[in-house]
Formats: sequence, structure tokens, C-alpha cells
Amino acid sequence: MSGCPYFQRKFVSTSKQNLKEDESDDSQIGVNKASKGDLIYGDYLQLDKIVTSQVLQSELKGNKIHDEHLFIVTHQAYELWFKQVLWELDSVREIFISGHVRDERNMLKVNTRIHRIVMIFRLLLDQFAVLETMTALDFYDFREYLSPASGFQSLQFRLLENKIGVPHNQRVPYNRRHYRDNFGDQESEQLLHSEQEPTMLQLVEQWLERTPGLEEDGFNFWGKLETNIFEGLRREKEKIEQKPASEIKEEMMAELIKQRDIFLSLFDEKRHDHLVSTGQRRLSYKALQGALMIYFYREEPRFQVPFQLLTSLMDIDTLMTKWRYNHVCMVHRMIGSKAGTGGSSGYQYLRSTVSDRYKVFVDLFNLATFLVPREWIPKMDPSEHTFLYMAECCDSSYCSSSDDSD
Amino acid sequence: MSGCPFLGRKYPLFTSKPSQAEEEDESQKGINKATKGGIVYGEYLQLDKVLNAQVLQSQQKGNKIHDEHLFIVTHQAYELWFKQILWELDSVRHLFIKKHVRDERNMLKVVSRIHRITMIFKLLVEQFVVLETMTALDFFEFREYLSSASGFQSLQFRLLEAKIGVADHLRVPYNRQHYKDNFHGQESETLLSTEQEPTLLQLVEQWLERTPGLEKDGFNFWGKLQANIEEGLKMEKHKLEQMEDSEVKQDLLADLNKQIEIFTALFDPKRHEHLLSKGERRLSYKALQGALMINFYREEPRFQVPFQLLTALMEIDMLMTKWRYNHVCMVHRMIGSKAGTGGSSGYHYLRSTVSDRYKVFVDLFNLATFLVPHAWMPKLNPNVHKFPYMAECYDSSYNSYSSEDSD
Repeated sequence: MSGCPYFQRKFVSTSKQNLKEDESDDSQIGVNKASKGDLIYGDYLQLDKIVTSQVLQSELKGNKIHDEHLFIVTHQAYELWFKQVLWELDSVREIFISGHVRDERNMLKVNTRIHRIVMIFRLLLDQFAVLETMTALDFYDFREYLSPASGFQSLQFRLLENKIGVPHNQRVPYNRRHYRDNFGDQESEQLLHSEQEPTMLQLVEQWLERTPGLEEDGFNFWGKLETNIFEGLRREKEKIEQKPASEIKEEMMAELIKQRDIFLSLFDEKRHDHLVSTGQRRLSYKALQGALMIYFYREEPRFQVPFQLLTSLMDIDTLMTKWRYNHVCMVHRMIGSKAGTGGSSGYQYLRSTVSDRYKVFVDLFNLATFLVPREWIPKMDPSEHTFLYMAECCDSSYCSSSDDSD
Repeated sequence: MSGCPFLGRKYPLFTSKPSQAEEEDESQKGINKATKGGIVYGEYLQLDKVLNAQVLQSQQKGNKIHDEHLFIVTHQAYELWFKQILWELDSVRHLFIKKHVRDERNMLKVVSRIHRITMIFKLLVEQFVVLETMTALDFFEFREYLSSASGFQSLQFRLLEAKIGVADHLRVPYNRQHYKDNFHGQESETLLSTEQEPTLLQLVEQWLERTPGLEKDGFNFWGKLQANIEEGLKMEKHKLEQMEDSEVKQDLLADLNKQIEIFTALFDPKRHEHLLSKGERRLSYKALQGALMINFYREEPRFQVPFQLLTALMEIDMLMTKWRYNHVCMVHRMIGSKAGTGGSSGYHYLRSTVSDRYKVFVDLFNLATFLVPHAWMPKLNPNVHKFPYMAECYDSSYNSYSSEDSD
């Protein structure tokens, strides 16, 4: 009736004695090892800790509310994954900090782990749909028992933000206080360290500044680009000027002037530094050049994996801001305009964090402003510019099977 | 430059003095409560336990392998969600066992929680892509340190299967042994006592048998349906026989005969019993009738939420089998045809569990075989038949604000 190939044939119930049929059965080959006294699943995963850490406050207070269990488990799952993200992030930062990243054989590892963080964030985004099966009415029934516990006190979330590179002086103040004030001494120290140690942003910035091809006495990408762009714009201007006077001609001229202004700002180092001081740009001028170089020459063998890395870094920013927004929407649905359990204005505060001030790699996004026609990109000569296809593998500490496989 | 409304304006850098504009700032209202005592986030979630449960075997054995951490965390996340599913499942079973389900005001709760289980399963299926960022090569480097630990020893997974209603006698044997032999002591006892309790399948079966409209001395859905179908098929046959002889006529007659066979089988209780004994059907004959009734009359107010329940139950089956298949594909990629750490044949064993023998609500899927034209369905007369729009709410133990456990 069911048409399933595994039904009926081959697998007899254990109460019957037709065991002979099983001998040639591939799925039955093997000996059960669990009875041999080694490590078992539950011990390996320390499930005795994990599965006994759900204590409902509503139950302790004598009014057990069913949905509180979902609330607890959802947050615990988030924190487990935060730990995993920190594990990956710290290992990548270490590769940069130790200088190992200069051996380009390590780039695959770097890229793979950053991409893994992206995949985890995607899952964390999907996870909202599960908590959204709880209605505002159900939440109301146990919310009173939670105070003052609040996600503001999530240490791992703050560590994550800091280590990626969210600038603490750009944070939206929380009840006019510093975000670190939410934490006790030991946790506060951890947070302080995460602010002082090199962030992903800083490490990537230094790496970008080392992009081959930027050397002024070498390929001189920036100098050549500037020349090409203004030559290109000049020719465009001439073409337009030759047209008969018309409304279209005026519009095209206005467009061109806008373009020219955009590129003038690009090549104005002072303007860049000013924007860095206001927090609207984060990368150094040199790093910006490196990023643009990688964009333009992404198909050159040397730049393929670096390009994937820049893409994944932007994905992280995008997913974090989507996470914040999903969170905002859910909170709004759950508590409307009431205050948060931690004491903040709740929805209003969270809404204000869905902002570019929390976008770490904002410069990479903005590079799309400066795309140019292919002909304007400085030409490469493979016989002369060997750096495009020759990697550096100089770091002797690179070892794919070293004792500390981090 | 970025055009973002929150950048630049309103929020001065922390080093400068807060401007007066901040005073009116909505987002700054409130007082930080964390310093006033009471439970904080980390304590509430017992993070000291949860976040200190990741011990890499490779590291213990002096050869720390980076990717083992992902392996551990992924499985722990699965087990957390298994716990949540069991929490929801047990609460629903409880509503049926305690007979609270006879008060139809409890149906919303039942359906919401079963639906929540499907949402969690969707997440668990999506979770595979995260572990799939680990390559077979990376896994090979720490697999040896896992020795005989294996998912076969996941107690919660077995409890889940058992409580939903996976039939013991239909399970694929594991190394010719009973799956229960994997568990000892307390865990083994938990499994045994679970088997003594009613499964979701059994509880739903009893509930379906009580579907209003089945009463032979009442609406008599089954009797009326059988009469209508036989009449309908007879008329179809008559019409076809009037046609001029042709190949098309032959094909149509052959189709009709097939239909007649199918419906003859449907109304044969002995045949149903036979299929039940083989495990190809799981619900009683009466329960099957109830399910078909709910399907046909799903738009009647009384049956709307019950119909949603049946849909959600099938969703659970589909997601569990998708989970099994995703797992198989990943295992194949990770270990090829090597044996599993628990000693099984690995891929081959797992592949054999992607089968209808593990489909609990298989009968609900098969109902699609028996759909009929609207005209053949027994008619309802609202003046005579009040049951499609009048619910029963007599159970005094229903109480949305009961002081005992709000389960």
C-alpha cells in the first residue's frame, strides 16, 4: 500500500526468529560497541548539565507557566551558538594576530571559519520563528517572574560585538549609562579586554593595507586609478559638450558633475580622515584602497579567496543587523511599548540599535559607490605583475598538522 | 554618507557631554535594574552549566582539533531542542490522557503546541547546514577520539520516537539487537516506563473514534458515504457504457474499475484488520472513519481546528523523515561506507530508517487515496445536524487560570 521499498521486505521484527535472512543484510553488519565501557554519548556531551538547567521561575514561585520552558531553551540555544561563534572568531583573530595569515596557505582556514560564522547567524535568524509560536498573552503570564533578568546581561553577545569591532563609543547609550555597567567585576574585566585586544576590524584593516599592488613605487594602483578615472570623466564631459543644447544634455551634465564630485571625495584623503573621526568610515585610507583593489581584481588567482573573505564579512554585518531587527519586531509584538525587564525603554531602545553605527564593515558596503567601467581599471601585465598569481607562503610556523590545531 | 537615520544625529559620542536633546530621547528612558538584586540573565539560564559543558576529547588526548567544538555544540543544541519537543509533546499527551481534550476549549492549546513542535523540527532540519561546514577531512582528524559514543545512545531521541508512536516491532533492528540494549540503568528504566504510557498515536486514535457524526444511530457518516459512493460509481459506469466503443472508452472503464476496487477495499473492515497486522495501517477502522469525516467537513466550524491538528501531525512525520534523510546524506559525506562509532554499519543502517515503517500517522497520508467529488459526500442539514457547529465544553477541569500546574 505504501510503496516504500524498505517496508515488508528484509526487516523482520525481532520477535520472530528469521535471523538468517539478515546475514547478507548490509544494514545489519557491525557489532554494538556501547556495551564495551568506553565513552558514551551522554557523557561526551555532558548532557547531565545541559538537560537539567531548565528551571522555570514561574514554577519556583508556585505558578508554573508552560511557555516559560520554550523561553528558557530558546535563549540557551542562542548562548550555545554564541559560544561557537566566539570559538571560530577567536581562532581567526589569533591567525591574524600571530602573523600566520601572512602565509597564504592559511587563507582557506580563515575564510572557511568566517563563512561558518555566517551559517550560524543564518540559523540564529531562523530560530526566531520558533519563539514566535509563543503569543504575547502567554508571555504576559510569566514575564513578571523574570525581572530583572534581561538580554542586556548577555556577556557573550557583548564579547561578540566587541571582538568583531563594534566601536564602544558608537554604541547607543543604555539608560545613559555605559553598557559595561550591567556586568559584575569579572565579566566587566573580560569585556574590557575584548575592547582592548585587536578586533576583527582592526586586523582586517592591517591585512588590507598590505594588499599587493598598492605600493607607490610598485604597481601604484591608487595613482593609476585616479589618473584613469579623471581622464575617463574628462572624455565623457567632452562627448556631452558636443551634443546640441537640450534638456537631456543638461541632465547628463548634471549627472557627470555628481559623478565627478563622488570621485573627488574618494581621492581626498583629508575628507576620508574626517569621516573616520565622525564614525561614518572605519577603515584607514590605505585599507580602503586595498579593498577596492581586491574588488576590481577579484578574479586574479591571488585575490579570489580574499574577495570571498570580504563578502563573508559583509554577510556577518547584514545578518547581525537582520538579527537585531527580527528581535525588535518580536519584542514589539510581545510587550508593545512597555519597558524591558532590564529597565530600558524596551522597543524604543532596541529600535535605535538597528543602525549603521553598529555596522562594522560599513566601508566594504560603500565601495559599491565607486565602481567604474572596466576600461578605467588599471591594466595588468602578467609578465610584469607576477604578484597577481604568486602567493607568499613564507611563514614557517604554518603547518597543517601542528600540535595546536587552532 | 550612509543615509542611516540613526547615524550622526542624536547620539553624541560617549566622550562628549550628553546634550539636552537626549533628555527627550525615547530610547533612553528607564532605569537600569540589574544592580538592584534579583535573578540575572546568566543565573536564570544556568549558563555556568550550559557554557561549561564543552570538553573536547581531542584536547583531552593531547591533540586539540578545532572542529570538534562545532561537533559538540551542534549535538548539544539538538538535545536542548529535543527536550523542548518532549516538554510540548508530554503536555499534549497529558491533555488527552486526563480527558481534558473532551472540553473543546482545549483544542487551541493542543494545536498550537503540536504546531510548535513542527516549527522546532523545521529548525532542526535547517541546522544541518551548519555542521556541513565541517569537511570529511576535518572530521577524520578527531573522529578516533569519539570511540564508541554515538547518536544511537541519545535517550531523548528514542523517547521522542516512542511517545509519538513509532512502532517497536516495525523498527529496523540495530546489529540484530533491540535498540533498548544501548541503554542501561536509569535510562533503560525511563524507556521502559515510557513504553507503558499511551502514545500520541493511540491518544489521537481514541479521539478520532469519538468524532461526532460517526454514530450509526445518528448521522451515520460511514453508512451514508458507502451508499453514495456505490451509487455514484454505478452511475459513472452506466454513463461510460453508453459511449461508443473506442480505445478511450476502454481506458476510462479500466480507470473506473480501479476506482471500484479501491473503494471496495475501503469499506472492507477485514482487509483493514489485515493491513493493521502487517503494520501498513496504524489507526483503527473507526478512527480512519473519523479522520475522513474531519477531512471532508473541515470547513464546518467544529472541525476546523481538528483539521489543523491532523495536518500538523502529518507535518511532524514529514519533518522527522526529512531529518533522517538529511542525517543520512551528511553521514555518507562524512564517513562514506565506514562503520559508525557505535558499531553499526553507519550509512547503510541509517538509510534503512528512511522508510514508511517510521511514519506514525501514515494513515492520514493515505486518506488522499479516498477523496471523492463533493456531490458524493453525505449532505449536512443545519436544522437537523447541529453537531458541525456546536462544541462541547462540559469538562469542569478545564480552566485557563487554574492554580495548579498550567500545563
